[in-house]
Amino acid sequence: MPSAAALRLEIEHALERRFPAALSPVPRTIREVAATGIASVDELLQGGLPVGAISELTGNPSSGRTSLALQFVARRTLEERPCAWVDVQDAFDPESAAANEVRLRWLLWIRCRDTANAGPAAEGGASAPLERGARRKARSSWGRLDQALRATDLLLQAGGFSSVVLDLGDTAPEQANRIPSATWFRYRQAAERTQCSLVVLGRRAYAQSAAAVVLECSAQRAEQASGTVLRDFTFAVRRGRERHAPVEITTRKPVAATWQANAAWDAETERRA
Amino acid sequence: MSQGLYACAWAAEFPAQALLRLRTDWQTEPAVVLDGRAPEEWVCSLNRLATRMGAVAGMTRLEAESMLGLRLLKRSAESEAAARAVFLECAAKFSPRIEDACAGDTCADARSDEARRPAVCAFVLDIAGTERLFGPPMQFAERLRNELAASGFRASVAVSANYHAARMKAASIHGIAVIPEGAEADALAKLPITALDLDEEHMATFALWGIGTLGELAALPEAELVARVGPQAQRWRALARGEAEHTLAPIEAEFALDEFCEFETPVEQIDSLLFVGARMIDCLAARAAGRALALRVLKAEMRLEGGGSHCVTIRPAVATTDRRFLLKLLQLEIGTHPPKAAVVSFTLRAEAGQQSKVQLGLFAPQTPEPSRLDVTLARLRAMVGEERVGSPVLEDTHRAGGFHMKGFAITDLKGETRSARGKRDADMATSQRMALRRVRPPRHVRMMSLQTLTASFPRKAVERMGQPAMRPVAFSDGENRYEVAAAYGPWKTSGCWWALDGWDSEEWDVLATTNDGATVACLLTRDCARNAWQLEAFYD
Repeated sequence: MPSAAALRLEIEHALERRFPAALSPVPRTIREVAATGIASVDELLQGGLPVGAISELTGNPSSGRTSLALQFVARRTLEERPCAWVDVQDAFDPESAAANEVRLRWLLWIRCRDTANAGPAAEGGASAPLERGARRKARSSWGRLDQALRATDLLLQAGGFSSVVLDLGDTAPEQANRIPSATWFRYRQAAERTQCSLVVLGRRAYAQSAAAVVLECSAQRAEQASGTVLRDFTFAVRRGRERHAPVEITTRKPVAATWQANAAWDAETERRA
Repeated sequence: MSQGLYACAWAAEFPAQALLRLRTDWQTEPAVVLDGRAPEEWVCSLNRLATRMGAVAGMTRLEAESMLGLRLLKRSAESEAAARAVFLECAAKFSPRIEDACAGDTCADARSDEARRPAVCAFVLDIAGTERLFGPPMQFAERLRNELAASGFRASVAVSANYHAARMKAASIHGIAVIPEGAEADALAKLPITALDLDEEHMATFALWGIGTLGELAALPEAELVARVGPQAQRWRALARGEAEHTLAPIEAEFALDEFCEFETPVEQIDSLLFVGARMIDCLAARAAGRALALRVLKAEMRLEGGGSHCVTIRPAVATTDRRFLLKLLQLEIGTHPPKAAVVSFTLRAEAGQQSKVQLGLFAPQTPEPSRLDVTLARLRAMVGEERVGSPVLEDTHRAGGFHMKGFAITDLKGETRSARGKRDADMATSQRMALRRVRPPRHVRMMSLQTLTASFPRKAVERMGQPAMRPVAFSDGENRYEVAAAYGPWKTSGCWWALDGWDSEEWDVLATTNDGATVACLLTRDCARNAWQLEAFYD
């Protein structure tokens, strides 16, 4: 009886013209990862979020997406790497970021706004053609989502940012779903070229196959103290998609993890820390 | 005995040169500069193409307008002053001892005292001892002329051991002349006697005698000449022979990086403005680079039609002489803050700084390239607004949303020492805190029902509140209806009661269920003064 190796060779030889190396395992891409700073999530992702790729954190409001993204950004800024937060709905809270130990000096925050009253050209009542031109340009320019997409494009093209968070957390899915696939593929290529981790916060997964990792976040429970103080939340994270495994898989990976975020005023947690 | 060595750089038709040097599009057209007040305007300066067309200094506006294709420009004192400073700056690269040699050289046909501004720009440089730096006199003259040409000036250069010989020779040629020591009289012999700047009476006398050149004047016997014309004739003869002595009075060249351009017609398009701006930046960068400096701040001042003014300032993260980069920043800045009317004149002032040196490291984390980051930030500011791009800085206050934005700059961050603490911080696990997603501006909510707290709160706490606190049970924000599952609070916060922007509110952490069954955690506030409820943020 021929050995398995010999049999494999025979089959591969027979199918060589149609399927080269049909039964040989394809070498997996080993991608660099950056830790999120949350042990259970890092274990789930086998190291952290991929560098030079798109990661999506999805979930409903209060599902822990923002806390997870802040944890990741905090970790990156503590390593003295510049990060950017592209904020579509201007929902970023600097106090929460500081509580999560994000070094705000290393964070570039871009707050998109409605273009109805955008731009200094829209102010004042002058009627010179030079200003009229600029005003016309401003009027026909970007809405919040378009501004965010363009800002992300600029940051990825500029390079040097170790992570960029595109916060679509409050954007309606029907609106965000209209982002063309070509945009996401362009982001993927730019992120890969500049070794930037692009983290997309959203209610759904929008980047489709351009995303390397999709994490589905959800809230599990809220803890209280003495019935009067909200103390902490427990969140669940489920791995939706992972295109590249960072290391060779030998055992079955977990598909979900839980983690806890404490209230900033929780003195007991402070003492434990 | 050697008298030293002098080089004279002479830019004739300076009013025209000052106006045309920044307008490369006009340099290929015949142009004349008009001086005086309407309707008695007259041509005070013209370029070579205009001369070829037949234009001459002294023509009236009407005569100039009758020549088709001739561009008429108005004389600008500010442009000339700026151009003169640039001219001096170029000359100062070759010698620190410079004297202004154009005093008294007014327009050929100056008709009023006001119009008697110098029509040439000339400086004499003491270049004794510079041979080892810049080469022999001919090479020196070529380098000086090329330097001036790079700044947009067409100048003639003459080198001589005699100050006046260099000056008179430079005024009479179109190019370069080097007068060997001892041959000054021969070199000046063919120059017209007008080179001596004589008064009309003596000019007429010499014309009557048939003396038309300096060579003829130099050949006259000194004693007889003085006896007939007067003691000043002795000096004229010495000048004509290249023997007159001169004590150099050096001027202090003030290093100011300014460029000025006045437009014939008000400019309405940013592109047209930047066309001139690009040339100005070129000149400023070259001048700064000549002193091993770079441009740190660039300030563009625009005088507007109707009397107003407009100013924009760009501050690159690192001082640079990269023209394309500075031009892009200027374009984005003017695009973000456009002037409110057409631009009449454009001034560009720069502050010089040390050229930046960036020390890179193999193991240092990657950071954005400073110049590229500047352009990216400028583009972002143009898109979302000046105050909406940057790093947040928390303020020392208990007021919700107490922060302000600060410009994001990598160079500042690199100034921080990469301490052992930083590395230790990175190794430490960060604390995991609940994050808020702010609703900006806070959304007004309508309370569907409230519950008095007295049942669940300690009596003393309720008494301290002064009035019975109400716990939210259900509320609506106009889009969704929320049924409160649990509410934690109230947390009273107040401050700045002495000021108009004081606040006094109660905060509630609320777990609520929406219409579609989703559970959200949010932060509600009640403005105690107005008894108005607001949805401030969501926990996420």
